[in-house]
Amino acid sequence: MRKAKDLLLGTLLGACLLATLAIVGGLVFAIVHRGWPAISVSFFTEQIRLVGADGGIFWNLIGTGILLVTALLASAPCAVSLALLERVWLRSPQLRRLLRLALYTINGLPSIVFGIFGFIVFVQWCGWGKSWLAGGLVLAMSMLPTVTIVLLERIAAIPTRYVEAAAALGLNRTQIVWAVLMRQSWGGLISGSLLGLARAAGETAPIMFTATIFAGATFPRAVVESPVLTLSYHIFILAQDSFAPAVGTKLWGAALVLLGLVFSFTLAALPARLRQHEESNV
Amino acid sequence: MTRALSWILSLTALASLVLLVGVFTWQSSVIWQRDGIAYVTGHSWFYRQQQFGAFSLLYGSIVVSSMALLLAGPLGLGAALFIAEYLPQKTRLVLKSLIELLAGIPSVVYGLLGILLLRGWVYETFERFEPLSGDTLLTAGILLAIMLLPTVVSLSEDALRAVPASQRRAARALGLTRAETIWSVCLPQARRGITSAFLLALGRSLGETVAIFLVVGRQDNNVPHSWLSPAPLLQAGQTLTSKLGGAETNIAYGDPLHWSAIMGLGLILLILTGAATLLGTVRRERNA
Repeated sequence: MRKAKDLLLGTLLGACLLATLAIVGGLVFAIVHRGWPAISVSFFTEQIRLVGADGGIFWNLIGTGILLVTALLASAPCAVSLALLERVWLRSPQLRRLLRLALYTINGLPSIVFGIFGFIVFVQWCGWGKSWLAGGLVLAMSMLPTVTIVLLERIAAIPTRYVEAAAALGLNRTQIVWAVLMRQSWGGLISGSLLGLARAAGETAPIMFTATIFAGATFPRAVVESPVLTLSYHIFILAQDSFAPAVGTKLWGAALVLLGLVFSFTLAALPARLRQHEESNV
Repeated sequence: MTRALSWILSLTALASLVLLVGVFTWQSSVIWQRDGIAYVTGHSWFYRQQQFGAFSLLYGSIVVSSMALLLAGPLGLGAALFIAEYLPQKTRLVLKSLIELLAGIPSVVYGLLGILLLRGWVYETFERFEPLSGDTLLTAGILLAIMLLPTVVSLSEDALRAVPASQRRAARALGLTRAETIWSVCLPQARRGITSAFLLALGRSLGETVAIFLVVGRQDNNVPHSWLSPAPLLQAGQTLTSKLGGAETNIAYGDPLHWSAIMGLGLILLILTGAATLLGTVRRERNA
């Protein structure tokens, strides 16, 4: 009886795992299966034609790239500062805990909220209209907690004896920060940024009011009224009102490219994360 | 120099977040002053008549999120238990990485899948309840459940791993079967962590915008007449996020009352997701 129950629970839980993998894996398969026929060299090098039914996604890729680079450049210095603040400069444990709680809570805030905030502040108050810079800054805000938390954990994992050795050699705090903490943890900044970018690349809600339009934008030459095209918004618009078969294939193709982009960011961050997992399991 | 710079940048980042909360509170003050609590409990939202009742949106958000958690919770927890308790270390790491990879699938991609696959399925499967289309609260709930699955699995697995292996070994040495160990040692000890995982998933589901936007139907003022029948789930609805993500946000800017009603929705959303995430984070801290 006990054996039977044991077996039953094991089977049931195994079935749960299989079902989960089948559902989510099936979705990935569906995208690859339907999107693959659209992928060709010209799909990456041509611009949109016929409202998405023809042509490619060249400017969408460029636009997504511009937003991601902006977000990365804006978030990385802030992430380093916040991580150092928590690890080094703040002395009171209560304040450090408060900062960590704030970071985790911000990480859970909905991206649409950041989008509307950007719409008010950058689009309206600053008078930028839809602009790549507004979108990049909004994405930077939404990815900042992720980057900071990963970097923070990396710095926290540095053995204390390194810091003690540096202090014994007479280095002051600033010197310890640059010679030990940052030197040992720059991998954390990279993997954190990659995870943040993976999230930012797929975001639609923060940029739809602030940075992106469906067609007619190329490389932005100014800040004001300089929107870009992006992959996610392209999919978002086409998904709503397109049933032509040609659009369908292009649409799945764009989804596949976006998925590929997001997955490659996550996979690039994987080795560093696995190493940390294993270290923490020892 | 380093110290000053890092203080300045940190304070800029934190100030912009304080500004975010401030902006939503301040910009929504008009509607709170006009309607007070009736803004939250009012059933009708007709912006041309200047009626702003957020109840149907709150209802939509809560129904969709609870459906998603009810569907994804048990399945995800089951999968997490299998990964944490049955699989060897190597397989566990591979699966865990895979699940974390899948958790990153962008919501617009889920939305696309929802529109092109799930919508038709819901319409056909529930045909005898006579839904008007495949865009229903149920569709949004199922889609959100699928989206949440990897997150629930990953977070619950973290919670289960936080239970020391020595506890499991002790239970097995006492002659308990694997099932009994799970039931009387692992689950009770990971209880805090698991509720924390569910709270974090709840926060995420309340704030999810794009995928829901594409399949929920976006029909205002849908509040069920009877709370017991399942039929209202097969109607189109509207959530806080699908409203905020829609064209009305652009229309509203310029009309102070309408805009503040929209910003009020943002503030409600901030409070709900912020509370769920904060509670979840505090619980997880205690678990660790």
